[in-house]
Amino acid sequence: MKNVLARLLEHPGIWRGRSFTRVETLSTGFSELDARLGGGWPKVGLVEILATHLGSGELQLLLPLLARVTQRPQARWCTWIAPPLNPYAPALAARGVNLARMLVVRTSKGPQRAPEWATEQALISGACDVVLTWITQPLKPRIVRRLQLATQRGRTLAFLLRPWSSRVAQEPSHALLRLGIEPDHDGVRLSILKSRGGMTGQWWLALDGARAAVGG
Amino acid sequence: MSTRALRKAFPEPRSVEAPVQLSLAVAPAGSPPPAGPPAACVTQARLAPAVPELWLGVHLPQCDPALLQRLGVLAQRFTPRVSLEPPDGLVLEVLGSLALFGGVARLYRAFRAGCRAAGAAPVLTLAPTPLAALVAGRSGVSFKVLEQQLLVSAVSALPLTALRWPPQVLQRLSRLGVYRIGQALRLPRAGFARRFGKDCLRMLDQLVARDADLRPLFTVPERFRAKRQFVREREHHTEILQALQPLLVQLAEFLEARQCGITRITCRLHHRNEVHTDCVVRLAQPEAAAARFREWFAERLGKMALPGPVRSLELRSGELQSRTPVHESLWRPGEHGGGGEAGLLSGSQELIERLRMRLGESAVQGLRCENSHCPEGASRPVSPLAPGFQRGAGVRQVTAQPVRPLWLLEEPQLLPERKGWPQLAGPLRLGRGPERIESQWWEAQGVARDYYHATDGNGIAVWVFRERRPPHRWFLHGLAG
Repeated sequence: MKNVLARLLEHPGIWRGRSFTRVETLSTGFSELDARLGGGWPKVGLVEILATHLGSGELQLLLPLLARVTQRPQARWCTWIAPPLNPYAPALAARGVNLARMLVVRTSKGPQRAPEWATEQALISGACDVVLTWITQPLKPRIVRRLQLATQRGRTLAFLLRPWSSRVAQEPSHALLRLGIEPDHDGVRLSILKSRGGMTGQWWLALDGARAAVGG
Repeated sequence: MSTRALRKAFPEPRSVEAPVQLSLAVAPAGSPPPAGPPAACVTQARLAPAVPELWLGVHLPQCDPALLQRLGVLAQRFTPRVSLEPPDGLVLEVLGSLALFGGVARLYRAFRAGCRAAGAAPVLTLAPTPLAALVAGRSGVSFKVLEQQLLVSAVSALPLTALRWPPQVLQRLSRLGVYRIGQALRLPRAGFARRFGKDCLRMLDQLVARDADLRPLFTVPERFRAKRQFVREREHHTEILQALQPLLVQLAEFLEARQCGITRITCRLHHRNEVHTDCVVRLAQPEAAAARFREWFAERLGKMALPGPVRSLELRSGELQSRTPVHESLWRPGEHGGGGEAGLLSGSQELIERLRMRLGESAVQGLRCENSHCPEGASRPVSPLAPGFQRGAGVRQVTAQPVRPLWLLEEPQLLPERKGWPQLAGPLRLGRGPERIESQWWEAQGVARDYYHATDGNGIAVWVFRERRPPHRWFLHGLAG
C-alpha cells in the first residue's frame, strides 16, 4: 500500500510543500549540509550566499565543490568574478582545486555593473561549470532573475556572494537557494533563507568536517 | 636525389683522377698549363640548363627586412619570378622581360630608378644563375655576365667568403690556400664532397649552372581591404555597424575562400576634414565568421567616443593566418555529457575574448603556484591563453604544506595595537603559530615574519604576522575565507 502511494506521489503533476523537487545535485562535501539541502547544491541554477563579513567561511564552504568540479576530466571553467581580494593559489592547490580550470575576472576597471554583465556572459557561454560572483552593491530583483535564467541557458551553477544586511535578507529573490552565513566558534552558523521545496532553518556547521567527507 | 642517381650524375672517376694529377705533377715547368680543367675537378662539363636564364641580383649593403619586402613588391613589376634571400638580397629572373623593357640597359635603369624612389641604393648584378648574381652582389663588384659560357671565368675571381659557407669550412679551405671561387672549382669533386659536404658542392654546381637552383618565389602577403562611402553622414553606432555589416560579410567570404582566419582587423572611420578614427579589434585565435566580427565591433564601437559624424568606412585585415575549422559537438558542453575537447576549448576561448573585449586585456587571469618562500611570491596571475596553462603545465602538486589562507591581501595591512596587543574589531585571539617565514639574506628587502592563524573580534579566521625585527609591528596578511 505504502509502495503504491509512494509511486503515485512521484507523479510530476503532484507537488508537495515539504518535499524536495527533483533536481540534479552536486554534493557540497559536508554530509550534514547535503542532508539539509536534499542532496547538495543544485547542478544548475543560482545560489545566493549572504555573509555577515568577508571571510566568514563562505569560500571554505564552497571549496569541496570547487575541488571536485575542477578535477573532473572534462571540466569547464570555474570562474571567479570580481573577487574582493586575491585568491591565493597555493592554498587552493593544497585543497585540491585544479588551477588550470580557474579563471579570475577583475572588473574594477570596467564600466558600471561590470560584475553582473560578466556573470551573465560567463553563464550563457556554456563554458563554465561554476561561476562565483562577489557583488557588494544592491541588486535589483530583475537582474537576479535574469541571472537565474542565464544559468539554465548555459547549464551552469552560479553563486552570488553578497553582504548580509537586514535589507538584503528581506528583498524577494529569484535564486533557487539562499543561504546566510556567519562565523561561529570554529565553524559557521548557516541559515537557509529560501529553498525550493526544502526546509528552512538555522544550524551550526564545522568547516573542518569537509576534509573527512572529501577524503583528504 | 638518391645516392645512386647522384653517383650517376657525378661519376667518380677515381681511376682517371690519379693519372691526370700525375701528369700535372710530371709536366715540365716550361710547358703550358692544360687547356681545360681536368675531367675530375669541380667544373666537370655537364649540360647547361635547357632554358637560358638571366638573373638580376639585388644586394642591400644595410640589411633591412622591411625595405627588402618593399623591393620584393617593386621587383614584381618586372617579373613574376622574384625570390628573396634574407637578410639582405633578392634575385629576379629578367630574361623574359627584356623585350618588354627594351633591353638590358633600359631595364637596369628602370629598376635602379624604382629602388631610388623606395629609398634604397642597392648593388645590382646580372648573371645567368641566381647564386652567381647574389655572390657578385655580396662581393660588391660590378658584374654583368649575360652568357653562360663566360660565367665560370667571371665568377672565378670572386672571393669564397661571398658564398657564406660555415666559418669552419672557409677556414679549412683557406688553410689549403683556397680563397677564390675559381680555386675551389678546380678541386677534385669526390674529395671536395667528402671534406666539405655535399651541400657546398651543390652550391658550387648551382653557381655555375650545372645544377638546378630552385628557389621559393616571393608572393606579396594577401590582405583584405574594402571601403564604403556613405551618401549621408552617419552618427549613431548602430547605423555605422549596419553599414559595416556588408563589408564584414565580404571579409568572411574572402577568408573562407582562402581557409584562413585573422587575429587583427582595423576599421577606419573617416570624418570631415581628413580626420579619422581607428577601431582595432584583436582576437586571441584566428577567426573567420562575420557574426563574430560584428559582435566584437558592436562591443568596440559602443565604447568609442567619435569626434564627429562618419562619412566613409574602411576595413583592413591584418595578416592572414591559417585556420583549422573545429567541428562543433552535437550537444552543448554539460548537456547529456556533451562537449568534446574541441568544442570546449573554442567555447572557453570565446568567453575569454568577450570578457577581455569589454573589461581590458588584463582583466581575465589564471592563477599559478610559484616556488617561493615569500607568501606574496607564491601565487602569480598568468594569461589563461598562455601556452600550456589550460593543460595544467607548471601546476605544482603542493604536498604537506602548512595551512595557508584562501585570500591574500595585496599589501599587508598594519594592525593597531592596544596595550601591546594587536586589534582587529577587538583584540585578536591567536591560534596556531608561530610559523617563521624568512627570505634569503641576499635579497634587498628582506622578510622576517612570524605568522599566526588568529580570530578577530567578529570571529573571522585571519592570518597575521609580527615582524621579527624591531619595531615588531603586527600586520594582517590574509583571510581564511
